[in-house]
Amino acid sequence: MNRSLAQWVFLGLALLWGVLMWQGCQKEPPEPAAAGDLVHIPYTPKPYTVIKPAHFPEVPVPPDNPLTVDGVQLGRRLFYDPILSIDSTQSCASCHLPHLSFTDGLPVSVGVDGIAGRRSSMSLLNIAYATNGLFWDGRVRTLEEQALLPVEDPIELHNTWPEVVSRLRRHPTYPELFRKAFGIRDRKEISKELAAKAIAQFERILISSGTSKFDRFLQGDLDALDDEELDGKLMYFEEGAAVGLPDAQCFHCHGGFTLSGNQYFNNGLDKAASLDDFADKGRGAVNGRRSDNGKFRTPTLRNIALTAPYMHDGRFQTLEEVLDHYSSHGKSSPNKDPLIDQIGFPIPGTQPLQYTGLSPYHKRAIIKFLHALTDTAFVNNPDIQNPFR
Amino acid sequence: MKKSYWFLALGVWFLLGCEGTQDGVIPKTDVRITFRARYDGKPLVRYAKYNYADYWVDFFRFNAYMSRIALLTDGVPVKISDIEWVDFTPDDAPTDTAVDVTLVLRAPEGQYTGIRLGYGVPPDLNAKQPKDFAPGHPLSRENEYWIGWKGYIFNKIEGRVDLNKDGMPDGGLIYHCGSDAVFREYSFDLPIRVEPGAPEILVTFDLQKLFVRNGEWLDLRNPYNHITSNDFNDVVIASKLMDNFKPATSVMQ
Repeated sequence: MNRSLAQWVFLGLALLWGVLMWQGCQKEPPEPAAAGDLVHIPYTPKPYTVIKPAHFPEVPVPPDNPLTVDGVQLGRRLFYDPILSIDSTQSCASCHLPHLSFTDGLPVSVGVDGIAGRRSSMSLLNIAYATNGLFWDGRVRTLEEQALLPVEDPIELHNTWPEVVSRLRRHPTYPELFRKAFGIRDRKEISKELAAKAIAQFERILISSGTSKFDRFLQGDLDALDDEELDGKLMYFEEGAAVGLPDAQCFHCHGGFTLSGNQYFNNGLDKAASLDDFADKGRGAVNGRRSDNGKFRTPTLRNIALTAPYMHDGRFQTLEEVLDHYSSHGKSSPNKDPLIDQIGFPIPGTQPLQYTGLSPYHKRAIIKFLHALTDTAFVNNPDIQNPFR
Repeated sequence: MKKSYWFLALGVWFLLGCEGTQDGVIPKTDVRITFRARYDGKPLVRYAKYNYADYWVDFFRFNAYMSRIALLTDGVPVKISDIEWVDFTPDDAPTDTAVDVTLVLRAPEGQYTGIRLGYGVPPDLNAKQPKDFAPGHPLSRENEYWIGWKGYIFNKIEGRVDLNKDGMPDGGLIYHCGSDAVFREYSFDLPIRVEPGAPEILVTFDLQKLFVRNGEWLDLRNPYNHITSNDFNDVVIASKLMDNFKPATSVMQ
């Protein structure tokens, strides 16, 4: 089996060639050096007009990220594109599906590696109006800041922004879209900040259609709600005392036209002997205030019938379970919101004063009212669907 | 014809240019007004226990609309703000101690004899809705608008009552005052100097004084005194609180 020198040389060269070929296959093609390579593409930004119900305020838009037609379209594409994830399997839309009012139907979201997160996906409906912090714990202030985080979260998209930016720069379509959206001169100007701005622009158009039964009622169609839904509304908004209905205290936390409130409450989900005993400290872990441990941001109740399961950890499967929780006044802890204890009719003679909770009819009426908040025109709006389908 | 437009424009420009330099026009300057929250003279701290009659209370939220803010010269008002929203317990505050809220407004320089403050949203503005205001305007805040009442929540004072002082709350202390019937304006007499470098005007609210009048406390053992909403009983309670804002307010410069 003696080999000649020539044979050894040939074998070595073959091996070297193989290694080089293998390395070549692994390496991404270099980003083209392209100073000003996009300037031939016209940049003519057109303002995007958000369509909103007449009874909704103007959508807040930061001055440094005005909505444009091309910006929104780019953001929509990025939102639905799995290019953001490490293995190109998940996008923002994996946890924010339009037909579920931009939630995912899971108790807690699951990332690219199959690892379950701690918290449930929040609805993005009317998220443009959420100006008091985002996520369940309010750890970021703006949609632009928010859009940066899931990409690099190891239990979400588990990628890196340098990698995403590199992919976008090499992509056959995105450089042109970034040029049209932001007027960049060459693809090297594509950045994570611009990607986040585009995604934020898209998210700011996720506005109610104003055609839910409740919205029609608010706009003067008094027949839009049937008697049971109307009873539910009266209890929700603390208007039912005059007609013998109890107070469900809902609107104190889920208030305003978005029925969100965007504030932080402990709604009695977990028993805690002290402020340090919450398994998930929520808001308190973000701002460092013990008194905010166990508090979470109130989600919008618009489209709530589409966004099961409920609460920050998805512990309740149905609205019936949610109403049972509130009607039972929840579990005790030092900073539980006092209104949770005051749901129902006061029970005379009790000291301290106790409340009845809600009867089966009252719960049913409130749930019917919550269904009257369903906005099918929003979830079916073609302008917010996956552009890749 | 074109020539006459030019003359007209020139004239307008000339007049506008003269306005600031005419004798008798008083220059404006910044006026800093700081609002501060207290309970019985002590700093308001979220969830801290305070004596209330013979039991305890705590607070975790306090915010308010202040409107028609005017400086007075012998009773004649110079309005310096239509409406402001002051939040002593913002969600992003660094600690549980209530924050001071400072407004920087513009007013003609000079010596004034007092200040007028509106408590809540005056009827003309209360007839509007958040949709009528641009984002960032105090009245664009959706959380402060009560859809059921079709009006703004003038102030939110939220906390809890501990009737037996065992450290466990026995109920809420939730006052959301609103409706045209409870809007109030109060004037405070004091010399106020407005000029560059003048000290700020300090407006202090003492929450304890909202609940006690002539030595008589609002009885929180009565559950109907725990909360305000929009029925008649609640407007009566809200009226008492809004009346008490006058003695609960102190102003100094």
